[in-house]
Amino acid sequence: MSASPEARTLMQRLFEPQTLESMAPVPRFFTYGALLVWTLVVVFPLYWVLVTSLKVEVQVDSGPFYLPFIDFTPTLEAWDFMLLQNNTLGPYLNSALVSLVSTLLALLIGAAAAYALVRIQFQVKLAAVLTFILLVVGVIVAVAALDVPWAIAVAVAAALFVLALSTVVRRFRAAVGNNDIEFWMISNRIMPPIVAVLPIYVMFQHLKLLDTQVALIATYTGVNLPIVVWLTRDFFAGIPRDLEESAEIDGASKLRVFFTIALPLVRSGLAATFMLVLILTWNEFLLALFLTNANAQTMPVLVAAQNTTRGPQWWYMSVLIVIMIAPVIVIAGFLQKHIARGLLAGAVKG
Amino acid sequence: MRVRLDNIHKSFGHVQVVKGLDLEVEDGEFLVLLGASGSGKTTALRMIAGLESVTSGRVLIGERDVTNVLPKYRDIAMVFQSYALYPHMTVFANIAYPLMVRKTPKAEIAAAVQEVARQVQLDTLLDRFPKQLSGGQRQRVALARAMIRRPAAFLMDEPLSNLDAKLRGYMRAELKHMQHELGITTIYVTHDQIEAMTLAHRVALLEKGVLQQLDTPANIYNRPANLFVAGFIGSPPMNFIEGTLKDGLFTAPDSHFGTGTRATRTAAVAGMRPEDCRVTEPQDGKLTGTVYATELMGDHTLVTCRVGTATVTVKADKAFKRQDNEAIGVDFAEASVHLFDKASGERIA
Ligand SMILES: Nc1ncnc2c1ncn2[C@@H]1O[C@H](COP(=O)(O)OP(=O)(O)OP(=O)(O)O)[C@@H](O)[C@H]1O
Ligand SMILES: [Mg+2]
Repeated sequence: MSASPEARTLMQRLFEPQTLESMAPVPRFFTYGALLVWTLVVVFPLYWVLVTSLKVEVQVDSGPFYLPFIDFTPTLEAWDFMLLQNNTLGPYLNSALVSLVSTLLALLIGAAAAYALVRIQFQVKLAAVLTFILLVVGVIVAVAALDVPWAIAVAVAAALFVLALSTVVRRFRAAVGNNDIEFWMISNRIMPPIVAVLPIYVMFQHLKLLDTQVALIATYTGVNLPIVVWLTRDFFAGIPRDLEESAEIDGASKLRVFFTIALPLVRSGLAATFMLVLILTWNEFLLALFLTNANAQTMPVLVAAQNTTRGPQWWYMSVLIVIMIAPVIVIAGFLQKHIARGLLAGAVKG
Repeated sequence: MRVRLDNIHKSFGHVQVVKGLDLEVEDGEFLVLLGASGSGKTTALRMIAGLESVTSGRVLIGERDVTNVLPKYRDIAMVFQSYALYPHMTVFANIAYPLMVRKTPKAEIAAAVQEVARQVQLDTLLDRFPKQLSGGQRQRVALARAMIRRPAAFLMDEPLSNLDAKLRGYMRAELKHMQHELGITTIYVTHDQIEAMTLAHRVALLEKGVLQQLDTPANIYNRPANLFVAGFIGSPPMNFIEGTLKDGLFTAPDSHFGTGTRATRTAAVAGMRPEDCRVTEPQDGKLTGTVYATELMGDHTLVTCRVGTATVTVKADKAFKRQDNEAIGVDFAEASVHLFDKASGERIA
């Protein structure tokens, strides 16, 4: 399509537009119309939340009112209550801490795992995996039901595992390859989280970590790892092998290659993944509801808590939602330029 | 430093790619690994670099057995066919990378980068990123990155293959000069015989993972060890005629000529290079045939003749003029005939 705009036929302008400006007037009108409608669909709820946060109970109940100063008199009462009288800062900081730390951890661990899955061929004996699972179950039973001290149980299990590796496991051929490992990771996300909530709850109860940020960070990191691995493995697979081999010959260790070559090259992909996982954890409700109480409560739980016995407190909720959305928008704007493509251009001959 | 390959085998699964490669590269030597596509050159080079494991055999650099040593401990520098420049780093950072990972002091790195950048005429481009460079400039960055330390050996995998013909010729001369200046053992992979002939102290010709001949360019050209080498080196390639050899007298279906040897074979192949042949009148030549095609190449004419069932190409004067299908004779000196055993392909005498 290198033809100049004037030389483009009507059909080309209709079906292969390069910019909105080069479209024929009628499709252009409809395109802008459709974009406008969609913009409204996206923006209106945000506007509505913002407006609601400026209302008091009567204005909501007798509404709907759309325009502040015209329809109704806006007030900062809800803001005043939520920010100054209610403990909103605590959950807000909890949310920020938990989502940032768990996202960074998931990104670091997940990216390293994805990189290993792309660059190293694993051949784990199926028998070794099964032995491992059996021993883990054995340790749990021993500790929970037979009151064996856990240190002893783990030590015995580790010894048995090493023994099994050098004897029985060798006889079996079947092995688990990279694809199997990847599929296993993804499969962790197929199961709805509610299934795992109770075991996780009991686990943290035993560890005396219920209602702590640590519990949330650990859980979120684990839950989001598969997503990170799944998203970043393709970015790593896209790096020309030569680059890493060249770095190795230049004297870099594998770890250094990962941090100075591979990671910087996928940084745009990492930025996108960071954003996605951050939003997932920032908005996570179910696990937070189960694992936290007063101390480690996060924003989504606080928002839900505004649905009181006196009915939903829409104005308070709106305040919380506005302050929840704001940082995400800021971060997204910040990362936008990093999510640009074309970073790999010039790596190889062209 | 010396680089030695000792009976190297390499298989990918069931496919044998390198079969018993023995190679000894002297200190400071420029050795070219030449071969057709898929002959195993890159694989051999990667085994020297440590990027590929060897199935059996040993790799030695200097006196050290590095067969199971990681690339980063082999003290070699490599120029990849793709150049493998780090796209997120400036030219400066690219060139400095080998020194950075070795924790060389900053001031020393800066001085060293300036120095090599000047040698390859990149000193004005140090702030650019690889994607802002032309192909030739990228190639020089790759070269500079290899040159910034004094490695035990340079390994180069077709570093010039993606440059245009003019730049390639220029870079070839530069490369040769630089290697001579630095005196660092260099192993250079190419499928281009001109590159091999012009650059190498010695050429190792590889075919299907087997070393065919290891010798100086002149010897490879003048005394090819077997039929494969004879046919591979030289452009246009050597002419071959099949026949029998009795006491030095070569007999083909429609011709016979002496060969300056005393050898006897029931099935032999005689080879004559196009530039060793002359066109003559039909009755004067050792071979007689008809003109099949003539191509004016500028400073000479390539005349292709049909001789019996064989095709013989002669490098003739640029003024040569004959009609196609005209009868013609081809003559050559007895001493210029290369003789090979047909069954084994080996050179006779
Ligand atoms: N990783 C691999 N797995 C399987 N086969 C391979 C692998 N690498 C190379 N080969 C095979 O080994 C043979 C030699 O490959 P190699 O890259 O060494 O050839 P080459 O001489 O460098 O060719 P070229 O001039 O095309 O670069 C080829 O037939 C190739 O298909
Ligand atoms: Mg190759």
